[in-house]
Amino acid sequence: MKQNNRMLFLLTTTITLLLGSTNIFAAEGDTSLDNVMKFMLIVTLFMIAFVLWLIVVYSEKEDSEGKTFKAPLIAFRKFLTRSTPIENEKEILLSHNYDGIRELDNRIPPWFSMLFYGTIIWAAIYFMVFHVFDDGQVQSKEYKVEIEKAKMERDFLVRTGAFINEETVKFVDDAASMAEGKEIYLKNCATCHGQNGEGLVGPNLTDDFWIHGGGVKNIFKVIKYGVPAKGMISWETQLDPKKMQSASSYIITLHGTNPPNGKTAEGEKWIEPADDKQALTKGS
Amino acid sequence: MTVEKFSYDNQIVKNFTIATVVWGIVGMLVGVIIAIQLYLPELNFGIPYLTFGRIRPLHTNAVIFAFVGNLIFAGIYYSLPRLCKASMWSKVLSNFHFWGWQSIIVLAAVTLPLGITTSKEYAELEWPIDILIALVWVAFGANMLGTIIKRREKHMYVAIWFYIATFVTVTVLHVVNSLEIPATLTKSYPIYAGVQDALVQWWYGHNAVAFFLTTPFLGLMYYFLPKAANRPVYSYRLSILHFWALIFLYIWAGPHHLLYSALPDWAQSLGTVFSIMLIAPSWGGMINGLLTLRGAWDRVRDNPILKFMVVAVTAYGMATFEGPMLSLKNVNAIAHFTDWIIAHVHVGALGWNGMLTFGILYWMVPKMWNTDLYSKKMANAHFWISTLGIVFYAIPMYWSGIAQSLMWKQFTPLGILQYPNFLETTLQIIPFHIIRSLGGTLYLAGIFLMGYNLLKTAKQGKFVKEEEAEAAPLIIEHDKMKRGMIHRWLEKRPVQFTLLATVAILIGGVVEFVPTFVVKSNIPTIASVKPYTPLEMQGRDIYIREGCNTCHSQLVRPFRSETERYGEYSKAGEYVYDHPFLWGSKRTGPDLHRVGGKYSNLWHYLHFEDPRQMSPGSIMPRYPWLLTQILDTSTTAAKISALRSVGVDYEKGYEKFANEDLVKQANLIADDLINNGVPADWNTDVIALIAYLQRLGKDIKGNQIK
Repeated sequence: MKQNNRMLFLLTTTITLLLGSTNIFAAEGDTSLDNVMKFMLIVTLFMIAFVLWLIVVYSEKEDSEGKTFKAPLIAFRKFLTRSTPIENEKEILLSHNYDGIRELDNRIPPWFSMLFYGTIIWAAIYFMVFHVFDDGQVQSKEYKVEIEKAKMERDFLVRTGAFINEETVKFVDDAASMAEGKEIYLKNCATCHGQNGEGLVGPNLTDDFWIHGGGVKNIFKVIKYGVPAKGMISWETQLDPKKMQSASSYIITLHGTNPPNGKTAEGEKWIEPADDKQALTKGS
Repeated sequence: MTVEKFSYDNQIVKNFTIATVVWGIVGMLVGVIIAIQLYLPELNFGIPYLTFGRIRPLHTNAVIFAFVGNLIFAGIYYSLPRLCKASMWSKVLSNFHFWGWQSIIVLAAVTLPLGITTSKEYAELEWPIDILIALVWVAFGANMLGTIIKRREKHMYVAIWFYIATFVTVTVLHVVNSLEIPATLTKSYPIYAGVQDALVQWWYGHNAVAFFLTTPFLGLMYYFLPKAANRPVYSYRLSILHFWALIFLYIWAGPHHLLYSALPDWAQSLGTVFSIMLIAPSWGGMINGLLTLRGAWDRVRDNPILKFMVVAVTAYGMATFEGPMLSLKNVNAIAHFTDWIIAHVHVGALGWNGMLTFGILYWMVPKMWNTDLYSKKMANAHFWISTLGIVFYAIPMYWSGIAQSLMWKQFTPLGILQYPNFLETTLQIIPFHIIRSLGGTLYLAGIFLMGYNLLKTAKQGKFVKEEEAEAAPLIIEHDKMKRGMIHRWLEKRPVQFTLLATVAILIGGVVEFVPTFVVKSNIPTIASVKPYTPLEMQGRDIYIREGCNTCHSQLVRPFRSETERYGEYSKAGEYVYDHPFLWGSKRTGPDLHRVGGKYSNLWHYLHFEDPRQMSPGSIMPRYPWLLTQILDTSTTAAKISALRSVGVDYEKGYEKFANEDLVKQANLIADDLINNGVPADWNTDVIALIAYLQRLGKDIKGNQIK
């Protein structure tokens, strides 16, 4: 009796877990690590249950030692498989004989039918939920939700100052930012703009002239979005905003350094608007 | 009663058996080479014909159609006459089938490395070969159906049901997916475009797995497993149920290869639900196989043939459970485009197809040479080597797939991508790829062992070319259908049976295709989407020739992690001029659908010359020949006309002026490159390819969160 309960417990746990995690059956979009782990756990449990069941099915022999343990399980197995024992096989042996191959007429295992009908019912429900009771715009809706959530998070981070964008970017010249800016510059920018900002393929960054406007906000914007038409790539996805702020600030400090081999000026002369200038002088 | 004498032709079985082993070695050797190329790109020796993009299709075609294909034919030519108690209908057709099939394989082995390909997975061969395939396949089918009709056994055994379903469905799949308009002898364009082409292709691709790798093998299992185990089949009723359920349901599940794509939602959902409904019918085959071994388990321990078969059937069960799980959208969101899929298909291919093949060969060869297996010990060693090979192959690939996918999706607390540089995620999984190639090598080593063992077996025996047999002739009775005996009635009528099977496999395809082709709202048009210019079109064909699509997808899925990385997600209307579609199925490199304008022409030029000078550590092969190879513009007119006939809006007569536009556009790019200091010629392949890449994904303007 005790074993019977154990089996029941195992079954109910598996079923509860399967049902409790209905999200594994739902269309859900981007999934976090948690969901993966949860899914793997369920699959593993399912597989363990399956292996246990296989053991039960194939434990045909009733040895004296294991009888107490196996007795209830055999009843359970019989319920699930309804298969005719090998000893009585002759009763269900069909007359078919194909090149010596014979066929038995065992019943279709009830567990098999349950699984089959279960999946058909599930399929019908799934289709109804998304395409009959809902408008069927499954993935674009999911995407909208995902993006709105991200937008809210981003707005919050911008407001708290944790996330810098072209509106909130500031000129920073503390030693750490300068060092970081210089490192980024040498690693990513120098190939096109020269070791000292004198300009190579890209324009000179040390003179008074700017093609897309000077000042920390414009420089930040060019770094962030790039100017693909002219070969300047977008760094938005490669550098985090603080790094782009440091790099922009470092580039501003190159102004007027007049390095050798300076490239001819391009663009228009940049005059710093009053309030930004204030910020600049205050900073330096 | 009179008894008729006849014989079974073992010669044809022998031919197909030899072909199986030989092509198996070739196909898997190519597999090992491309596996190593993924961490050692130099292994193509700088030869265009050996680059990953060109020989990956060679690997898949060789193992599917040459290795598994030849074994299917060997197994059918062995089992079918014996199950029908009749000789094969026509020896001429048998031989035509054999030599025809081998010449198709040789043609594939030549054309694929040459870059002659349609790019559609497992259907890469160009139109002249497609026609040959159709001819040979029909010859096989006629021979098979002829034998069945001329049989002496009253009823058709379950194995024959599966053979019939295989023949019918593969015919339909091949014909429908290969409808294409030739531009030249070696280049054609499918009549379908974009989303529709994707739907047809994955209806084909999925059911190539179902009706070339699964149903014929289930048929073979139903013959060889009970034979080898000497036990009756567990349940006749289960055979009936799972056969019909399997062939009816399988055909619907193709769209699960296109979840979260530009395919309409309803079609995706059909893919999901029919995959889930497939679990039980697939497992029906597994349990009927495993439970047939009831009472013979003690023999499994010391009989290598049964061991191979048990592992095969178990692998089948695992793969057919995993498949439906991968069709759940949230699992698919992680697994698609990653190594997880490669692991999944190899559990099926190495486990189910490979192991069952070995079991069958070890059983069949001694029978035909009238002797015993040369070395049971060696067969046992083969068993363990292959099993270990599968483990060493699959486990690292699961790890690698999940690890890389999670890296793609990881955001920092600030809400920006943690690994914005795709290459970082590639470098992370290289150790797994190294272990995987070792697993593959082990598996390949096992085949050599088997080849030797079988050769020795043949040497010690004496080949029975014609096996004499006798049976009473078939007396046709016109009995009525009786309640409870309907299927028994049907088993006596091959024609009706074939028709019914045809109906069963047609329904799913029709229900999915017709609305996608007819109902306009399924593919909303976008006014700004225009046909490719002649230069871009030529560039696209180079993209196909080099097999870029084997590693790069062109499908940004509607996830924030993808739109942040690549740009706006892909819309159905953007692909209306894509003959064929190039969505890809694996992201070994980054997606390219929005690559247009992302880098300068110079960047692309230098990247093709040597990817590592732009992205250190990249595993992409070098393509220096693109920089010097002259672009073939003589085909432009023919291509424009062919594309117009499949529905691309080129004006009438444009083909006469197309090359003028091509030269103009090519010069613009060449000038830009020269201004930036590289000596580019306007008439080289690289110019056309750059033109195509710079065009990609630029027809619509996207939006992202700022």
